[in-house]
Amino acid sequence: MSLATPRVRAPAWLSGRVLLAFAAVVVLLWAAPLLLPMSEYTHNIVGLTFMYMAAALAWNWLGGYVGQISFGHSAMFGVGGFVAARAMLSLGLPFWAGWLAGGLIAGAYALVWGHPTLRLRGPYFSIATIGVGEATRLVATYWSGFTGGSSGLSLPLAGGPSKFQLYWYGLYLAAGAVALSYWLRRSRVGLALLAIKEDVEAAGDLGVNAAKYQDIVLALSGTVVGVCGGFYASYQAFIDPQDMFSFDRAISFILMAVIGGLGTVLGAAMGAIVFVIIQEFLLASYSQLYLGLYGILLVLIILFEPLGLAGLLLRARRRFGWRPKPGVAAGGIGSTAAGARLPGVTAGQAAPPVEPPAQAESGPR
Amino acid sequence: MGEALTLAISAVLLAGFYAAMAYGLGLIYGVLRVVNVAHGGILMAAAYLAWQLFTRFHVDPYLSIPVALVVFFVVGAAIYRLLVRFLPRGPAGAVQSLLLLFGVWLVLRNLAYLLFTGNDQAIRTRYATSAVTILGDSYSLNRVLVFGISLVALVALHLFLTRTYWGKAIRAVAQNPESCTLVGIDVERVYVLTFGLGTALAGLAGVLASTLFGFNPTFGATELLRSFVIIVLGGLGSVVGIALGAAVLAFAEVFSIYVVPSYLTSAVGFVLLVVVLVLRPGGLLGQRVLR
Repeated sequence: MSLATPRVRAPAWLSGRVLLAFAAVVVLLWAAPLLLPMSEYTHNIVGLTFMYMAAALAWNWLGGYVGQISFGHSAMFGVGGFVAARAMLSLGLPFWAGWLAGGLIAGAYALVWGHPTLRLRGPYFSIATIGVGEATRLVATYWSGFTGGSSGLSLPLAGGPSKFQLYWYGLYLAAGAVALSYWLRRSRVGLALLAIKEDVEAAGDLGVNAAKYQDIVLALSGTVVGVCGGFYASYQAFIDPQDMFSFDRAISFILMAVIGGLGTVLGAAMGAIVFVIIQEFLLASYSQLYLGLYGILLVLIILFEPLGLAGLLLRARRRFGWRPKPGVAAGGIGSTAAGARLPGVTAGQAAPPVEPPAQAESGPR
Repeated sequence: MGEALTLAISAVLLAGFYAAMAYGLGLIYGVLRVVNVAHGGILMAAAYLAWQLFTRFHVDPYLSIPVALVVFFVVGAAIYRLLVRFLPRGPAGAVQSLLLLFGVWLVLRNLAYLLFTGNDQAIRTRYATSAVTILGDSYSLNRVLVFGISLVALVALHLFLTRTYWGKAIRAVAQNPESCTLVGIDVERVYVLTFGLGTALAGLAGVLASTLFGFNPTFGATELLRSFVIIVLGGLGSVVGIALGAAVLAFAEVFSIYVVPSYLTSAVGFVLLVVVLVLRPGGLLGQRVLR
């Protein structure tokens, strides 16, 4: 057996069908506002949903793929937003350059706090990120020279993209995040991340440099969330630190990913849709209930379907006789690399039985 | 020198409260390996309980401590029995319990918001502005009282854990649950007891906090961070370690005013956490197990 280097070819994870479906969805969404009678409100909300999708997916790289739950992603969102706003206001950069600058600086900022903090695992890391979010919020609120303090910053309306145009930029952002998520999930890097999630020490023994991979993922995640912050700044045309850096914002990323399905690609995207629907339609009328509603949702999901919407989808498909290939279910909340284990089983005793095992039918009655 | 002494005494007074605040979190983590993220929410809820008892029934906040202990013991036992019990133990359950208890915290916050609005509240007793003189400088009476009650609570807890059957059972389960079942300890009951006890301690800390600080439904996030820093600094679970961790944090925070603007005080804990975890992952005393 020789260890010849494999020839250059399309990576195994990139199947034609997936690529086709992805392209079709993107084209459909791209053309939708031109073909469908869409109210301005819906148009804008869908554009914002794209941004949330990208942010949720980016959070999910760290929270879902590596299993490091970050309560501090509002920091990068805010940094991205304010750097972008400043770049447009003070430097007169075009909006896209502002977003890019915001993203890059947010990514660098993520590395600065993340490199030492990512040595911590699980709850240690999570609670440290609460500190990151809080400290960043405080500094941003008091650094009024840069952020405008509690009165915030208003962006020039001229020169930037209109809300109408932002729909398409949001779409590109979300599409890029989906593609990147897919790549991260299925590539060698994704395997390394899964290994780190399962057992850092074992992964280290196999030659996976956990520190390096986690740094890369956090920087990537911070960059994308930073770009989302820039997008949000352009979308709102006004940002203030209390909103951009709020704990509620940090929570929103977690909620979207957990509602949709921790560690899944489609799940996090679906989670963003559900999040916006809840936010816009349910909570418009019951705004005092939103935290509690999300809290209850979180509890129910963790107890009954830790893979969220993606888990429900898997369950539904399995009911119709579809068997997941190994690897499909991998990466859930308490995953195993084998992926053959059903997501419901890992939820512990609380999870209701996924379905009667197939053998029961073939066995003697 | 005089100023430094004043700050040092302030720090000691603060450390007493911090130790009481962190112990509940440490106890639950030591035994169940679950970080009770709802800890901050319990603190907030207990502060509101004391406030309600004070404004409605004119109960002195210090007299509402027994009520809070009972109420939050039941709340904690319920959280364990109804929710946490169903999650897997070990690393797979860590993320789940984190998110689950975070959900509980959100619900608590929302409840407080619905019942009492988002306004800042404070308990103003008649003696709220009284002061006590220690070594030539005066300190708020409330801070001294809180320090004293915290000490009593810590000593009582230490005696409970070392002298009683259930206390010893808790420590045994922290070390090895499997062996405990072999010698006939009802591990499940120990878990309920631990979660109840840890939550009751958070309730105590919440009542104490209500006499020192103003609070609103978001109260508790930095307290959670501080408690966590303390149990990590002190090594999880021993009384001495917790006291040491609390002292280090309190001194760092109080003396940080020489170095950073005062609004950054709550970030000091975070910096300390990162520094210690990078240098000494096992905590200052290098112990992780509840002894």
